[in-house]
Amino acid sequence: MSAGFLDIDCVKYACTCGLLKTLQQLYFCRYCSELRCTFCVSHEVDSHFCGKCCENLPSAEARVKKNRCVNCFICPSCRQELSTRAASKQPANPEESKATKRTYYLSCLCCRWSSRDIGLPDQTAATGSWPKRESIHSNRIQEIVSMYKGLQEKEKLDKEFFKKKQKEKIISYTDKTGITAAALRKRIGLPEDKPILKPKNAVKIVTPSKADENIDDFDEEVLTKSINLLEITSIDQRLLQPDVQPKEISNIFPIQKILSIKRSLRCRRCEHNVSKPEYNPNSIKFKIQLFAYYHIPEVRIVTVEPLRAGQACELILKFTNPTQHQTTVSFLPFDSPIEVKEAIPEEGAISQEDSLEELDKSSLTPSKKKSSSGTKLMSLVDTHITLTTSRSSARALSPRSIAESINCTVDIPSSTFILPPRDDAAEYDDFNEVHNIQDDKKLVVWRKSNKAYIKLVVTPNEDMPIDTTVTTGFTMSHLYTNTIASVADNKKPQKFNHNMRVILKLGKSVGLN
Amino acid sequence: MPLYEVEKSTIVLDIGTAYTKFGFTGEPVPRSIFRTQVKSKGQLRSLLDYQDSQDLYDMLVDFFHDIYFKYALNSPKDKPIVIVESLLCPIIFRESVAKVLFKHYGISSLLLLSSHLVSLATLAVETALVLDVGYKEAVCIPICYGLPMINAWQSLDLGSCSIHRNLQSLLYEKNSGAESLSEWILEDIKVRCCFVTKRSRAEQLSLSKPELGPCPEVKYPVEGNSILRVTGTIREKAYEILFDEDNDHLCLPTMILDALMKVNVDLRNQLAENILLIGGTTMAMGFKSRLKEELLHHMKEERYRKLNIKCFKFHASPSKENYTAWLGGAIYGATDWLNTKALTKDEYFEDNRLPDWSDLKYNTRRP
Repeated sequence: MSAGFLDIDCVKYACTCGLLKTLQQLYFCRYCSELRCTFCVSHEVDSHFCGKCCENLPSAEARVKKNRCVNCFICPSCRQELSTRAASKQPANPEESKATKRTYYLSCLCCRWSSRDIGLPDQTAATGSWPKRESIHSNRIQEIVSMYKGLQEKEKLDKEFFKKKQKEKIISYTDKTGITAAALRKRIGLPEDKPILKPKNAVKIVTPSKADENIDDFDEEVLTKSINLLEITSIDQRLLQPDVQPKEISNIFPIQKILSIKRSLRCRRCEHNVSKPEYNPNSIKFKIQLFAYYHIPEVRIVTVEPLRAGQACELILKFTNPTQHQTTVSFLPFDSPIEVKEAIPEEGAISQEDSLEELDKSSLTPSKKKSSSGTKLMSLVDTHITLTTSRSSARALSPRSIAESINCTVDIPSSTFILPPRDDAAEYDDFNEVHNIQDDKKLVVWRKSNKAYIKLVVTPNEDMPIDTTVTTGFTMSHLYTNTIASVADNKKPQKFNHNMRVILKLGKSVGLN
Repeated sequence: MPLYEVEKSTIVLDIGTAYTKFGFTGEPVPRSIFRTQVKSKGQLRSLLDYQDSQDLYDMLVDFFHDIYFKYALNSPKDKPIVIVESLLCPIIFRESVAKVLFKHYGISSLLLLSSHLVSLATLAVETALVLDVGYKEAVCIPICYGLPMINAWQSLDLGSCSIHRNLQSLLYEKNSGAESLSEWILEDIKVRCCFVTKRSRAEQLSLSKPELGPCPEVKYPVEGNSILRVTGTIREKAYEILFDEDNDHLCLPTMILDALMKVNVDLRNQLAENILLIGGTTMAMGFKSRLKEELLHHMKEERYRKLNIKCFKFHASPSKENYTAWLGGAIYGATDWLNTKALTKDEYFEDNRLPDWSDLKYNTRRP
């Protein structure tokens, strides 16, 4: 998760779902214009590949191969990847052929385990020829599965038969008038009605398991023979091979490597991708990457005066605009409400109202009628309501409250400041620095290209003991320019204020001087 | 196997306190067995060490993330899942699992199966007494003609956890510094060195001066810098906690006998001749023969005279004991039950709750 030196968690942003993450860990959905994090997006498997040989497998093929690579193995002793080693074998009879035969075995470069340790014969081909093992019980289990499948099928047929029989019991009108159904069918020219047959019992019943009275799972040898720990497998080594779970180290077997996947992330609300990798396992690039780092102004702590309980101190923050559009940043108190766009689409809201009306109607119905079928009616209405709401709000995850307590107040400045757009060329241009920006000198200390240094005054709480971590926060509001709509409809880029909470960890409080 | 058949396979999970068994329906062996642990806030934590429901929810999200994207390599959305659970699973845990799966991962349906009941599917029998000795507790439930006899269930907090505690105190007597051994080292010592001894030896060992030669000692290296002396007595006595009667005169064998006492007289013999042991702890060497010895011994006691059982017979499932319940789930999940009996998304969202056998709302006979 960590993104190296940039990812210092002094400054955290509150994601729309309420979790605190650093800017590098966040995504920004351009369609909903909301922050997203790995917790509140839905993950999808994009492509399968082997982490060792980088072979790309289509998902259907991966499934057939049980999500394991055919060619790569891991060490059954230490789980590291095994490497294929070549050995040249001199032919037994030198006159027979002059060419030396190459054979291959698997060896672990980490723990020196090799496939020769367990007596596995060397293979003549480097890949694909290692013997595979099947569970000894698989036939029996297959039989049991097909028996249960058959039983359930039979149960279903029996039920249908019963239903048909019930239907037959009802005397039809034609029967009363003397014309039997069979005669009528004949007259119309329909084929003769076949009597319903009871479905045949074709399930092959497996011989049930026989319980045994004699158990012999105690080995007398254990009482006298001393054991060598190096010859006994640990529980992790046993569980690597669930079917055998070998007790001795001589029975372990190379294990096929499990495939890895590439994931794409999708916003839960609008179902647009926020991150999509390229298909090729060798490529580390993305097709789609909506990282918040490219859209949201970055806040960094520059300096902070010593923090003393109850005393105001100066805090300088650096704001950087990563976008190609000029933005205006203003401050709001930390607990100012942030409007989250309604998760419920309008249709849902309307149908909910409808169902509420229905509920009213049902309560208006005469009590006599209600007493007979009241409960049923109510429950029907209930389900209707829950169904309509469940489609939208109930199934969506509700945001949680922010799990961080603020023990330091910020004097929220009333003025705003402008951040110019990012200009990559400006980095190389030291002299031509012209600002035509009228700044509030109290707020902006200094600025350069797309960065601004902002002075804030913070006051730690009065009752704070020495050496507690001082946490402060504010709501940052910045003008966001959405270019998505302009591309689609040839309109001007939409501009609106985007608010988010920022939490700063300023360090430990100190005593009075 | 043709492609379309593989397409249908569904994830089967048996989330145990110590180990989680993971695989797909219709397969004879789980794909992997791994510790029920989650990396949360920078440290490995057991899934069942949760503080509150929010904490559990977050851990479960991470846990299922690992399952879907590390082991199953499958997108969870709109797919069914089978989970094998104990009848005594805490409600908060079940509810959280359902919430995570339906709300966070958007699965299409969830089939919850009782571990004791489905274990019988591996044997193709209908009546058996199932004893599950896992990590935290031992639970015994008789199953008669496919119906769990809930009134006869027995449970004790005997399992790997209590064996580890016992082993730790035994080691502490002989070695200083044994009190700080981690759970996993204790487990490793137990698995590699300890075994269940015979009844005659156990009786001698419990005396102050046993008249028998102890089995060989094992020198167990810890973290490369110290050596633990695992004496022969420790090796034999580690499992004794399962067979020592506690203050209420209860132990593992009495659980089976007590359960038999509570079922109908006509079923007792049939159940005693169909005992199935599941759970990883029952895989210890000598466990089954000792349990049989103990059962026969306890039968002589006055309180069980009424039982009138002559012999006890044990089943061997076509699996290792630690994944028998999982295998049962895999067999059930391969049948039509997955479509007919599973809880679907719409049913779950009707009242955001999981049907529970202990809840009369779901557990009444409908006319």
